[in-house]
Amino acid sequence: MNFRESIFIALSSLRANRLRSLLTLLGIVIGVMSVIAVVSIIAGLNDYVANRIFTLAPDVVTISRMEPIIESMEDWIENARRKNLYLADLDAIRDVCNHCKAVGASVGSSARIKYGREYVGSQIQGYTAEIPVILGDELHAGRFITQYDVDHARNVCVIGFDVADILFPFVDPIGKSVTIDGRPFEVVGVGKKKGSVLGSSRDNWATIPISLHQKIWGAYQSVQIYAKAGNEERLPAVQDEVRLVLRARRHLAYSAKDDFAMNTSKSFLQIWANISRAFFAVTIGIAGISLVVGGIVVMNIMLVSVTERTREIGIRKALGARRKDILLQFLIESAALALVGGIIGVAMGASIAMTVTWLTPLPASVKWWAVALGLFVSTSVGLFFGIYPAKKAANLDPIEALRYE
Amino acid sequence: MADSAANNVLIRTERLWKTYQMGSAQVHALQDVTFEIQRNEYVAIMGPSGSGKSTLMNLIGCLDTPTEGKYWLNEKLVSKMKDDELAHIRNKEIGFVFQTFNLLARSTALHNVELPLIYSGVSSKDRTARAQESLAMVELTDRMHHKPNELSGGQRQRVAIARALVNRPSIILADEPTGNLDSATGEEILKLFDKLHSEGNTIILVTHERDIAASTHRIISIRDGRIASDEPNTPRIPVAPAAGSAS
Repeated sequence: MNFRESIFIALSSLRANRLRSLLTLLGIVIGVMSVIAVVSIIAGLNDYVANRIFTLAPDVVTISRMEPIIESMEDWIENARRKNLYLADLDAIRDVCNHCKAVGASVGSSARIKYGREYVGSQIQGYTAEIPVILGDELHAGRFITQYDVDHARNVCVIGFDVADILFPFVDPIGKSVTIDGRPFEVVGVGKKKGSVLGSSRDNWATIPISLHQKIWGAYQSVQIYAKAGNEERLPAVQDEVRLVLRARRHLAYSAKDDFAMNTSKSFLQIWANISRAFFAVTIGIAGISLVVGGIVVMNIMLVSVTERTREIGIRKALGARRKDILLQFLIESAALALVGGIIGVAMGASIAMTVTWLTPLPASVKWWAVALGLFVSTSVGLFFGIYPAKKAANLDPIEALRYE
Repeated sequence: MADSAANNVLIRTERLWKTYQMGSAQVHALQDVTFEIQRNEYVAIMGPSGSGKSTLMNLIGCLDTPTEGKYWLNEKLVSKMKDDELAHIRNKEIGFVFQTFNLLARSTALHNVELPLIYSGVSSKDRTARAQESLAMVELTDRMHHKPNELSGGQRQRVAIARALVNRPSIILADEPTGNLDSATGEEILKLFDKLHSEGNTIILVTHERDIAASTHRIISIRDGRIASDEPNTPRIPVAPAAGSAS
C-alpha cells in the first residue's frame, strides 16, 4: 500500500463531503488558529518590546527607587517607603565605581512648551551631560546638553522631533526661544525621529540640564541613575560596586534586602517574558481543549466513514489487503484530514495576526516554528484519534464486509 | 494421491467441515467435503440457496478457514493459515468475480483493475501497464478512464474480470457472475469465461442456475452441506442469445 494512494483517497473523500469535512475540522481549525494567532502576536510583541520599548543598551544598568513591576500590596507599601535617590548618590557612585565607563541621572516631569501662539504638552526631562551617551540618543540637528550647561544651569533645551514639527513647521528651531513652564529656553538641538510605540509617539519630549530642572521643580524628587559598563562582561562588576555604595549610604544591614531597584535590558525583558508566558499558557490551554474536542470529532467521522465504506474494505480485503494495509489507509486518511484542518487553521491564524497588525499598533510576526508546530500537532491529533476507527476497519471480517449493504 | 497427477492438482480438499454455533445449536454448513480440481478445469459448483455452496466458495476463496479438514491450494496447505497469510494467498492465487461486481465506485476502471497489484507491491508504472493489458483482454481499453456508474452492467462485470485476471491467479472464482445481468449480457460473460478457459485459466463458477452451470466442463452439486454429485459435463455450445439459451 502506498502513501500517495492513501492521501489521494483521503483528499477525494474530503472533497466528496465538503460541508461535513468542514464541520468535522472546525475543532482542529479553531485550536490551531488560536495557537498561531496568539503565538504570532506574542512573538511580534516580543520583538517589538526588545527592539522598540526596552532600547537600553546591554551594558547599561538603571538604578531607581521603585521596582518596575509591583505584584502585591505589601510590595507596593515597601516600595513607597523607600528613600529617594538624589544627585548626591550619583556623585558617590561616580567616585567609587571603577568599572563604570559613564554614570548619569535623569528626572522627569511634564509641562507645556510654547513658541509664539503654538504650544504642546510634553515630557520635560532633566539630564546630566552623560545621559545621551548612555542611552545612545541621536540628534537630528544641533547639540546635546553639555556639562557646562549642567554646571551653570543654563536655560537651554533639546526638543523631540514632534515638538519641533509642531512648534516650528516652517523655520529652523535651533537658536529660537521657547517657553517651558513660563521660563524662556533656547533650543540648542532637535532629537532624531524615533517613531511611535503602541500608538504613542516617542518624539514628544524636551530635555533640559538636570540642575535647572531641580531649580524649577525642586531637588527632592527621586532621580533615575544610569551606569554604563562599556561592555557586557563588566556589567556584573558595575552592579556590585553600585550596590555596595548605595547600601552603605542607605545604612542597610547585611541581611536586609536592597531598597532600590537595579535593572538591565535583560531583566526588563525577563519581566516582559513572565507576562507573555502567562498569556501563552492560557492560550495553550484553550487550544489544547479545542484540539482534543476536534480529535474526538475526527474520530467520530472516521467511524462513520468506516461504516459507510464497509463494502469497500471487504473488496480490498478480498483482493489481498492485509490488516496493516487497511489500518495504514485509514490512519493516513484521518491524519490527512486533520492536517487539512491544521493548514486551514494556520492560514486563518496568520490572517488574524496580520489583520491585528494592520488594524492596531500591535505588531505580529508569524514564526515558521509556530506554523510547523501547528501542522505537526494537528497531524498527530489526527493520527492518535484515527487509531481506533482504523483498527475497527482493519479487523472487519471480509465475508461480513462484502455482504454489507 | 497419485504422484504423477500431483503436480497438476490445483485444489485438494480433505474432509472439510464448517460448523457454526447458532445459540445452543450447531449448524453444519459443510460436512465431510472432499474433492480435487485440476489445473485448467472449468468447474461449476451448483446448489440451491442454503445448500452450503457459498460457505464452500468462501473456503476455496480463502476468505474463511474450515472448522475441520484440510485444504491444499497449489500445493500449499491453506486451511491452517492466519489472516494476513490468507490475504497474501487471495492476492496471488485467486481472482474473484462477484455477482454485484464489487467495484470501487469512486475509482476509474483502470484504477479498479490496478487494486490487486497495489497490494502485491507492484510499482506504479508496471501497475498501469499490466492493468491496461488486462483490460485489453476483456476488450475495454476504450473505457478504462470511466467510473463504474458510467459503464453498463456487462462492462462492469468485464472490469471485474479484468481485475480478477490482473495478478495472473491460479484460479478465477466467480460467484453468480451473471446473476445481476440480463440474459444476453450474461451470455457474453459466459463466452468470455470460455475464452479464458481455452487460454489455460482454471475457472470455478458458483451458481444456482442449471443453465449457467451447463456451460462448464464439470458440475459439482452441493445439497445440505454435502457433495450430492460430481460429474463431467459436455458444455453446450454457446449460441447467439437471439436463438434462445436452452442447452
